[in-house]
Order: sequence, then C-alpha cells, then structure tokens
Amino acid sequence: MTLADYERDMAGCSRCTCCKWSALSQIKSWRYAKNCPSVTKYNFHAYSGGGRLTAGLSIIKGRSELTEGVADIVYKCQLCGACDTACKIYRDDIDINEVLLEFRADCVERGQLVLEHMLMIDALKKEDNVLGEPKAARDKWAEGLGLKDVNKQRADVLLHAGCRYCYDKDLWPSIRAAVRLILSAGINLGFAGKNESCCGGRAYELGYRGEAEKYADDMLSRVKASGAITLLTCCADGYSHFRYLYPRMGRKLSVDVVHITEYLIRLIQAGRIRFQRKVPLKVTYHDPCHLGRMSEPFIPEWEGDKLLRPSSLKRAGRGGVYEQPRAALRSIPGLELVEMERIREWSWCCGAGGGVYEAYPDFCFWTAMERIDEARSAGAEALVTACPWCVRAFRDALEQAGEAFPIYDMMELVAKSIGIPEEEV
Amino acid sequence: MLPDQAYEALIDAVGQENVSREPVVLDGYAWQPTFNYNPELWMERPSAVVLPGSTEEVRQTILVCNEYGLKFKALSTGWCVTAAPWCEGVVILDLRRMNRILEIDEKNMYVVVEPCAIGAQIQAEVMRYGLNIHMIGAGCISSPLASATSFMGHGWDGIYMSYSPRNVLGVEWVLPSGKVLKLGTPGSGLGWFSGDGPGPSLRGIMRGAIGACGGVGVFTKCALKLFNWPGPPVVEAEGLGLDTKTELPQHFKVYLCFLPDWDSFADSMYEIGEAEIGYIINKNALGLLLSVIFPRLTRKIAKRKAIKETVDVLKNEFEIILAGNSEREISYQVEVLEDIISRNGGFLFDLGDNPLVGIFWWGLVRNYAPPILFRPGGQFMTLFGSDDSFDSQVTAARLGERIKKEWLEKDLIYDDLGDTSWMHIFENGMWGHCEVPFIFDPRNRRQVEAVMPEAIESVMASLEKNLGVGMLAMEPLIRKIASPMQGNYNKWQKEFQRIIDPRGAADSALYTGEAEIDLSTIDPNKLQKMTEIIMKNLWTESGPPR
Amino acid sequence: MTDGGRANADIAGALVSIVGEENVSVEQDILGDHSRCLGPSPVGDPLSVVRPGCPEEIQQIVRLANELEFNIVPASSGAPHLRGGAVPSGEGVILDLSRMKRIMRIDRRNKVAVIEPGVTFGELEEGAAKVGLKVLTPLLPRANKSVLASYLDREPITIPKYHWDMTDPLLCTEIIFGTGEFFRTGAAAGPGTLEEMWKAGLGLKNPMGPSATDIVRLVQGSQGTMGIVTWASVKLEVAPQIRRCYFLKGETFGPLIDFAYRVLRRKMTDEFFMLNAPALASMLAKNNDDIAALAAPQSPFTIVFCLAGYAHLPEKRLAYLEKDIADVAKQCGVEIKREIPGADGMRMIELMDHPCSVPYWKHRAKGAAFDIFFLSTLDKLPQLLAVMTGTVQESGFHAERLGLYVQPIQQGRACHAEFHLYYDPSDEAEARTAGDILATASERLAYAGAFFSRPYFPWVDVAYRRCPDTVWMLKELKRVFDPKNVLNRGKLCFSGVE
Repeated sequence: MTLADYERDMAGCSRCTCCKWSALSQIKSWRYAKNCPSVTKYNFHAYSGGGRLTAGLSIIKGRSELTEGVADIVYKCQLCGACDTACKIYRDDIDINEVLLEFRADCVERGQLVLEHMLMIDALKKEDNVLGEPKAARDKWAEGLGLKDVNKQRADVLLHAGCRYCYDKDLWPSIRAAVRLILSAGINLGFAGKNESCCGGRAYELGYRGEAEKYADDMLSRVKASGAITLLTCCADGYSHFRYLYPRMGRKLSVDVVHITEYLIRLIQAGRIRFQRKVPLKVTYHDPCHLGRMSEPFIPEWEGDKLLRPSSLKRAGRGGVYEQPRAALRSIPGLELVEMERIREWSWCCGAGGGVYEAYPDFCFWTAMERIDEARSAGAEALVTACPWCVRAFRDALEQAGEAFPIYDMMELVAKSIGIPEEEV
Repeated sequence: MLPDQAYEALIDAVGQENVSREPVVLDGYAWQPTFNYNPELWMERPSAVVLPGSTEEVRQTILVCNEYGLKFKALSTGWCVTAAPWCEGVVILDLRRMNRILEIDEKNMYVVVEPCAIGAQIQAEVMRYGLNIHMIGAGCISSPLASATSFMGHGWDGIYMSYSPRNVLGVEWVLPSGKVLKLGTPGSGLGWFSGDGPGPSLRGIMRGAIGACGGVGVFTKCALKLFNWPGPPVVEAEGLGLDTKTELPQHFKVYLCFLPDWDSFADSMYEIGEAEIGYIINKNALGLLLSVIFPRLTRKIAKRKAIKETVDVLKNEFEIILAGNSEREISYQVEVLEDIISRNGGFLFDLGDNPLVGIFWWGLVRNYAPPILFRPGGQFMTLFGSDDSFDSQVTAARLGERIKKEWLEKDLIYDDLGDTSWMHIFENGMWGHCEVPFIFDPRNRRQVEAVMPEAIESVMASLEKNLGVGMLAMEPLIRKIASPMQGNYNKWQKEFQRIIDPRGAADSALYTGEAEIDLSTIDPNKLQKMTEIIMKNLWTESGPPR
Repeated sequence: MTDGGRANADIAGALVSIVGEENVSVEQDILGDHSRCLGPSPVGDPLSVVRPGCPEEIQQIVRLANELEFNIVPASSGAPHLRGGAVPSGEGVILDLSRMKRIMRIDRRNKVAVIEPGVTFGELEEGAAKVGLKVLTPLLPRANKSVLASYLDREPITIPKYHWDMTDPLLCTEIIFGTGEFFRTGAAAGPGTLEEMWKAGLGLKNPMGPSATDIVRLVQGSQGTMGIVTWASVKLEVAPQIRRCYFLKGETFGPLIDFAYRVLRRKMTDEFFMLNAPALASMLAKNNDDIAALAAPQSPFTIVFCLAGYAHLPEKRLAYLEKDIADVAKQCGVEIKREIPGADGMRMIELMDHPCSVPYWKHRAKGAAFDIFFLSTLDKLPQLLAVMTGTVQESGFHAERLGLYVQPIQQGRACHAEFHLYYDPSDEAEARTAGDILATASERLAYAGAFFSRPYFPWVDVAYRRCPDTVWMLKELKRVFDPKNVLNRGKLCFSGVE
C-alpha cells in the first residue's frame, strides 16, 4: 500500500475534529478533554489526525510539495492512535493510523528525513538496536537470573526483552523481577541473549520499511528456531508490533504473543503466583498506547469501498489490553487503583512513541508532564504503567522539569508484593 | 502568496510559532467537505494561518490585515464550510489557543467562555454545579460561543435550554476594523450578566436567525446562559459511542413515543410544550437511526417495500427525556406524558431498563452522537430549518419527504428508507425546528454534484410555503434570491458592514455576499416556478407585498 | 406668523393631508399632555399630535419628516407619561399610535397575538382570555398602557420563567425606519403577505432574523429613535387552570435571595417578585389613607409568587410544586405564607391580573413618585440597596418613602430593580430633593453594579458615559436607520447626531 492507496480515506474526512478530542462521551473536565498531543501542542489543524489526512490528500493531489514543513507535521506525532480511535467511534471508512504510517514511508522514500531518526536507523543497522548500544551487551541485564539461552536450549516460552529493557539499567529491576517471577512459577522460559535484536517496529513507524522487514524476518526465524510456543514480551511496543505491524508486513508470527501483564494474570488465575505483601500505595494506571489501542491485532486491508466494511473488520482500539494490567494491580494487597479521566481506548500518550522521544524530546516531555499532571489530579501518589518507553519518558520528563513523582513499571510493584528482594532484581 | 512584510507583521502580532504559510498547513483550512455545495470540496487556500492567544493578538492580527489589504476569517472548531476562506487572500485566525472557561457564575447561571471551549468541556465543568449548557445539533464537539454568536443554534434540549443566539449574555467582539466592542454589561465594566443595552441592543447587529459566519469580525469572549441540571455532577458511562452504557439517574425517564400520524404527532408536541414538561425532546428520523446503527444492513433492506412501509408507519416518533428535581416532579411529568400520548392515540416505550438507555439518555444529554451521521455515507447535508410554529415545521417535514423521495429515485443520496426529519421544539414549544438530512458519499462525484440542486429545490419548496430559506440563508446565491423577498435585509447588513469594516477586511461572503445561481442546473419547469415565486414576493419601495 | 410658525403650519397641513383633519391636533390642552411627564425629565415642546391609522400613513409621515426635517416622537400609551420617552426633546410632532388598536390575530394553538401599537394590556387580556390564554404583563401596568410600548421598552414581565431572552415577550415586528422604509423581523420576514403566512401555518413565533440581523433588538429599547413598529406578534401563555399566590417574608435580603435563586433555577413559579414594605403597601392600598396602616405590619421585604397548574393534571402540578417549594423554603430557613397583612393570595392575584386602578400604585403614597430602575443580579442587591438607602439618608428624605420592587428576569439570571421615591408634588422642596436623590443615586448606583439598560433622564448620561464604544456604534446605527434624525431627537445618546 502507498499513501495514494488511501485517497478515499483521506477524502472521507469531514473535518468534524473528533480526532482532536478524547471520547466525547467520556470527557469529565475542561482540563483533560483532549486526546492528541500533537495538535494540542502545535495547534495548527495539520497537526491533528484529520489535518494529516488533508495534508496527505493535498500531497497526492499535487496541491502541495513534500517539504521539510510537511515532514515536521508528519513526524511530530507519536503515532499513539488516539485520533484513529476517536474517529472510529463514528466512522467505518477511514483508517487514520494507516495513512500516518504510509505518510512516513512516503517521506522516507522521497528523502524527507529526520536526522535523529537517521541516527536511530544507523544504530539499528550497526548494533541491532535503536539506542545505539553495543550488541554485545544486550544480555547483560539478565546476568545471574539463570535464563535459558534458546540458542542452546529449548524453551516453551521465548522472552523478547526489547531494546529499552535490555539497555536501560534503570529498568532492569522490572524485567529481572518479571523473569524471577515467571521462573518461580516453574515456567520453561528462555531468551535469545546477545542474539536478540530489535523487533524492527520502530523502524517501521519511522517509515524505514526495508529495515523493519529485515528485522521482522530475523525475529520470525529466531522464534521459529527456538521452538517456543509462546512469545512473551515485557515491551509494549514489541507487543504491538508483533500483533499488528508484523502481519501488516505479511510476517505473521505463528506463536502465541503475550504481554507480561497478560501472562501475569494467567499465572495468578492458574494459582502459580500469589501476591502476599502489602504495597500501601494509591496509584493510577497509564495505558501505554502500544499495549492498549495500538495492540489490537492486524486486520487485513478492506478491499473496495470501506463504507461496506463491517465494524468487526476495523481496528478501533477495542481489542487492546486494558483489563489485565488493572486486574493485576487490583490483586496487589494494600494497593489502591484510582483512574485518570483519559484511560483505555481514550488514553493520553506518554509522549515517547513514533520517534518523538528521540527527535523532539521537548515535545515528548511536555506530553509526559501533561499525563503526570492528570495523574496528580486523580489523587494518585504514583503512576504505574506497563511499557518501558513510557516509564523512560515520564522519568526523563520529571527530571527535566525538576519535579518528583513516583513512576513505576508494573513489574516493580509486582516484585514488591511477591516479596522479591530488591538486591535480587 | 502572502507578502513577506505582512508575514513578518503577523509574526509580530502573535509570535513566530503561531503563524504559518506552509501550503500543506494552509490546505488544512481549505478542505471543508461538510455543507459545501461546491463539488470540489476544496475552498480557497488561505494566505496564512495564525493562532492568536488573546483578544489583543486577535486585534493585532486584524490590524495587520487592514494594513496589508488582506482579508481575514476566524474559526473555532472549524467543522463546516462556513469556517473556510470564501475568497483569495484570507488570513485564517484559528482560535484554538483561546479555549478557556473564564468564569462559572453558579448563582446567576452563566458561564463566560472563549471560542474554543467545546460543549463537552463546558458541560462537564458546569454539571459539577448542578447546571447544564445548551448543546447544539452539531454536538458537544462544537463551540457554544461560535454557535451563539456566529452560526445557528438549535438542539434537542431547546425545550428546556432554548436556542444558542437567545442564550447569549455579555459579548466581547473584535470588529473587522480592529476596534473592540463589548455588548451589554461588559461594555460598562459591570460583569457579563446582560448583553443588551444601554438602550438598543447591539446583539441586533451581531447576528440574527443565523450568524454572519465570521463576516463581522471575531467574537473573543461571551457569557452563555446555563440551566438547571438535576442529574449527577459527573456521569459515569461505559463505552464510547453507540455502545454507551450508563445507569439512568434518579428522577430521569427516557421514552420513545410513537404517534399514528403527523397531526397527532404535532398535537402531542404542542401539548408537551404547554404542559411545561420535558428536558430533551427530539424527533429522530427512524430510517436514519437504523442507517447509522446498521449502515450496511440498511443498504441491503432499503429497497424492500415492506421495510419502507414499516418505517413510514413508525416515522412519527420522538424521544423524550423527562427530568425532575424530586420524585414528585418526575411522577407528575410521567403521568402527564402518558396522558398526552395516550389521548393522541400513540404509545410510548420506556427505555428505563433497556440497554439502549445509555445512548438515548447520555447520548442526547452529552450529545456526542452527531458525527455518527457520517457513518452510512461519509457525508451529509441538511435542508429546511426555517424555524417557526411547530405546524409549519410539519409542513417542512412533508416537503422534505417529497423531495427526498425524488432524489432517492435518482439514486443520488444514500437510501435511509426515505425517513426525513429531525424536529424539536424550543422554550416549552414556543417554536419548532425541522431539518431534513440527506446522506451521500463525498467521494462520489455524481452525488456531490447533486447537492446544490437538492438544496435549491428545498429552498424553493420552502419559499413557496412562505417558510423562508432556513439553513441555507448564509449562502451567497440564496441571499441574492432571498433578500429582495425579505425586506432587502442585505442592504441593511451591508450598511452595518460599512460601519464595522470600512476597509472590507473580513471575509464576508457568508454575511453579505451575493452570487448568481447556475440556472442550467435547474429543471426548466422548476425554474419557471421559481421565477414566479420570486416575482410574487418581491418587496417594492412602498414595502412588503400586501 | 414667524418662519418657525409658518413651518409648523406647513407641517400640520401636510399631516392633515395624510391622516385627515380629525387626526391632527394642535390644541394646547392636547399638546400639554405630551409636553411633560410625571418623571423628572425636561419639559418638551410638542408642535402637533398626529394620529395615523395604518402603516402606510406612518410611512408617509416619516417621509414627510425627512422632507421637512421635523422631529417625530412616537407615543402609543395614553397620558400621563411616566418617563419622558414620549416627550419631545425640544420641538416635535407627536406620532400618537393609539388609533391603531387592532388585535390582528390571536392564535390559540401557537399562543401568539399580532397587535398594533395602540392595543392596551386590558384590551389584549380580554381577547386572550376568551381563548384560554394570558398576557405577560409588567407589574400593575396603567390601564391605557400600550402593550407594544411596554415590550419595546423592555419592561420586565412578572413571570420570570417565561422571560427566556431580553426581547420577550416581543416576537416578530413590522418596522418603519427613520428613512421611511419598511422592514419585517423574525419569521414575519416571510416571504409573503401576513395572510399567506398564517394560511401556511406560521405563527410568527420565531423572533430572530431575517438572516444575520436581529433588527428588532435595535428598535427595542430605542425609545422610538430607530424605527416605528406598526404591528408585532407577542407571546401569550396558557392561562392556568388553577393558581395560588404565596408570600415569603424576610427581615433581611439574604434568605429571600437564596430562596429566589433556588426556585427560579427550577422554573417552579409563575409570577415571582419582591417588594419592600412601602412598595408593597402602595400596591395593596386603594389610596394614600391606607398606606401607613398597610406598611407598618409588613416585613421589610416580601416575595410574592404564584404556583399554577395548566391543562394537564392541574391540581397534581400544584400539589407537587407546593410540596417541593416548601422543601426549598425549609432549606433556606424561611416560611411560606398564604397571606400577609392586608392581603391574601386571592387579593394579590386580582391585583396582578388587572391593569392598575387609579391612582397609579406608585403615586398612592404621596401623590407622585420618581423611580430609578436598572438591571443587576440578585446577589448584588444588598449593596445596591445600601447605596440607595445611604443616598436617601444623606438627603434627609423620608426613609419610609423609599420603595423597592425587584423583578427577576431571564429566568433568574438577572433582575430588574427599581427604587421609588414617593413624594408630595405640591411640596416643591420635597420634589426637588427627590429629583436630586435620583441624580446622585444614578451616579453612585452605576458604579456599584447597576446597569442602566433603559436609559432615561437623569441616569442616561452616566449610563452612556460608561460605554463609549457602545455609544459610537449606536450613533453610527442611528445614521443608518434615521439619517436625517427625524425620530425622537435628542434621546438616549443621540443628542448631536446629525
């Protein structure tokens, strides 16, 4: 598919601007009524979902050139999917997410590149991760955990840690806690060690289709070689990419793809783990876009007039992972979960996605601080989420703002409740 | 192309980050498919877009336009062709940054807002005080300020919460000359509680039955009336659209009422108005309702005669929400409603425990559903809308039925089973409204090209019945026809324009513009009739036809 | 004969040619009625009184005024005039519209009447009652008060729930501007003739438009300076099947205002207003002998309100409202009464439902009264009352002769408040003092939150001094609608508009 293939989607925009707002039925205040970080920050209509549809239409109709200004519009967007979800409350015939992805691919193909993204792709090519960290150090996070190496041993469950968990030491306690927990439940868990690579999803989002496909192929062969029946990831981005982008690229994984929060619930329900220790904390849960609305499984492109497409064949964000993380949090004794106004399908993004963290950190941090403000307003003492990119964005934003507010990866709280000593993780 | 000097001046007015002349950004304001009678759907590309953040920045922008011979047009949420440039050289003022709720006066029941606070935001805030705001038919995504000052203003809560232009109190208005005019009490530094006087009310030049759609300047603040809300301060609902689920709060009831024919339907509306019951009342087009809920199924069954006949039998339906402040009050209202419907030969369906209550209660109160109208076909327009007595609106509904059938037969609109109208009453039935939706696919050239002829036909049918031009009143080519039949109102509008806009800076096409209809698009027989209607109703020097 | 005298004779002659000799008066006794009002406004100099019988005659008179450049002062109500709106500033021809008293239509189904300017409240009430409708009236209008004159002056009506917007109960109008051109507003803009519109089922209920103007709003409140209304549709309401009147007495404003806010928000009542003891006594009294005895036992402030039941289950409506409003009263710590000293509910309803008997209620205490009125919000009333009371005390005027009438409008979002100064017209010093209080209080009240939305002498100056931009715009509009300044010269902010 190309941008031009989505002409009907783009020409279908009625400019109602629902894409700029949280689900209208759910708006509970003036302050937290908006859903799109991009247009909320940059204000011109072109920076909204609908605005980007019109921008795309303008380009393919030859009304506008693909300039640096256009690239600014295309890339100052987290691809969080809020606009798409909001639109699809009402429409069956427009897929904003698809247009946004094609727009980026078009930019890359026609040379409208963002320097920071080029650096990410260079890093990916060199070190198999977008952070530019040495490939040789990819397995350091797992030292001492006794994880099986699937290159050498068979495992039922293959853990894909993801670039952020592998290299962000601040997040190691979370993933280590997850591994400890799963191992303690007697699960045959393995990982690819140094041979694990980036899933390639970020490259796809940035518009570098070739790189993305290469890494997807790599992932497919690794999974296949492992013999695992389940692909477990703690990375919400990876989860979304495996479920949505991979099939979109024609590279559907043949194993059960599970996020750690889903797996946790399975273990709880199976009675294989129990939360014992109290965690006396009032927290709010931030739905990561890639675990929530963007993790909805891929549905093949509808052939022909999308007005005839049944609702069941449109991705509208309903199939995301929303309940399991909440259920897990509610299982922790002493922990009180309070909700923010923008949650689930209509959640506000952390700011990190779509290459924004790397290319436009100020925009990312502004977006994150908006969310932290909302968390505080909900009366929470801490914000908990289930995505390493979200955690990173929130913590960095707070640091840059010189403010303090506890941000937890869900697995950190789980570790506390299970009773895993901090020094062990 | 915007001259560099003007561009620099705009930057001085609002700051670098708030000005753009990037073509693709500009096109974001040129694409306006809704209610656009031009089949191209693209309007003129503006010369620049600015994002003023204050009244002073609006004023400075307008002064720049005056200085450099540019036109300007302001928009708030921008949903509709009226927000687009209608001529070359327009600087768009996107008022997004001016989005605050400045004051909620709980006791005196008004809220002071900026242009881009949308209905849903304001409602959410004022409900905490037991108050509510009138939501227009376009839904809670619209700007109440824009509706009240510049556009139309009907909505199904009008029975209890009136009509946007009648809900305006104090107003702050930047004229196209750059002068700031404050209407009513704010003009005298006395708060916002009145928009009229001293002496004559300048609300009279601000707008009329319709607004000037940006043609008279920029409204930067206004006070809007709030109304009693006997429901919870925060409504908890599950779901996002048609799947909304919520519990019906205490002292609320929701009914679907079906009447046997138009006469009994109209009688019921009159009686409900006189009984002073009801919080929301709305005649829905039943076929349309089916179309938005089951758009594909409706396509399949629309041609079946039996289905059409069933819908036709049930078409005289309305939804009504009763709201009481006490158990006694709601009981009284229920009893009265049952009495009215029963005596008029109808039946009512209590949605109390039905899962549909979510969409029919919260959907109508919050009014988040209107964009669903895009679902069946991708686009729609509405016709008629010359508000007056409810009987006259029934006349409009019947005309709409006839016209819709004609265009359905030509296969130029989506078949919503031929059901026609949305109707509501205002201020306890003081007057009524009828709007006839036509659904079509904006990507279907034949259907898009049919929009204007459909519209003109509705206007002619309306004029023939002395109903006025309704929702098309702002269209330049309709104005050219209508003004000489309605006291040459455009002459007076041009006089006002001369005062407030001496240099012609505002894009005033939708205020005073006049354009010729392409007569070749009209059937010769209909053209003959149209000419007769116009000639018969022209005003002369000695006044109206008598 | 002087030049001026000759010119006046020419005007009178031309007027006779339009309306006939019997409809032009130049007799001094008749002119005298139009030279002064009972308020403090300056004396005027009416040249003649002309009584047109139809819109076309008005149009010809206005065109004549443009040609001969004379001042036309529209007047619809009978004498005596109270506020000076119908008294010329300097010379002027009185356009007496009292001959035009057709009730052109009463439409029961749409609850609307179409009337000419000479129709009085009494006349319209009679017509409306025949079909089960009621007229929305100000408090105790004079028997010869024109309905349209009242509505065009935005006089407040006594039922706040029916006052949705400031134009109410005025709906559609036919206007002749100062240029001599006709215009029709609201749904009456048509197209078509009135008969055609009625035949098509229109009720002339929609007051807005046509198009993007609401010219009726410019004519309303203009004291006849922008245009002359030849007929208008006015909103009527259903006459209740059952109605009861209640009282709420208060030593202070606070609880009463609290009660008012709660009740008005829920649109519970029909009539609703508040009076202080002197004003209440003036309303109840038949003449000045009764006043002191009636005033003494009253509470300082009294709210009067009615509850009603209409066509559907009237008793049940009244019953639930009585219980609900009792709950509200309890929350506010006040008690609802069925009577007050000197009146029960029936008596009060009788008063409210009929035009005022003679003498006019505000004149009963001492033979005359000046009043000062403005808009405000209920919560600002205590401070405004303090300003007025202070001004009265400073002047040495009798405190017991300060009347107060508060009429919530716009469903309780604002209120019309008026202070009365009851004075003895035969006592020049007292009259002068009352006039001085009015002037001083105007200034003080304007800066304490009073909005003089209906600017009459002596507060017209301060009203317009506070809003120079409004004045600029009004003057520009005056030039549009009345370029030769023939309509009620010198009124509002229009002195010097040429």
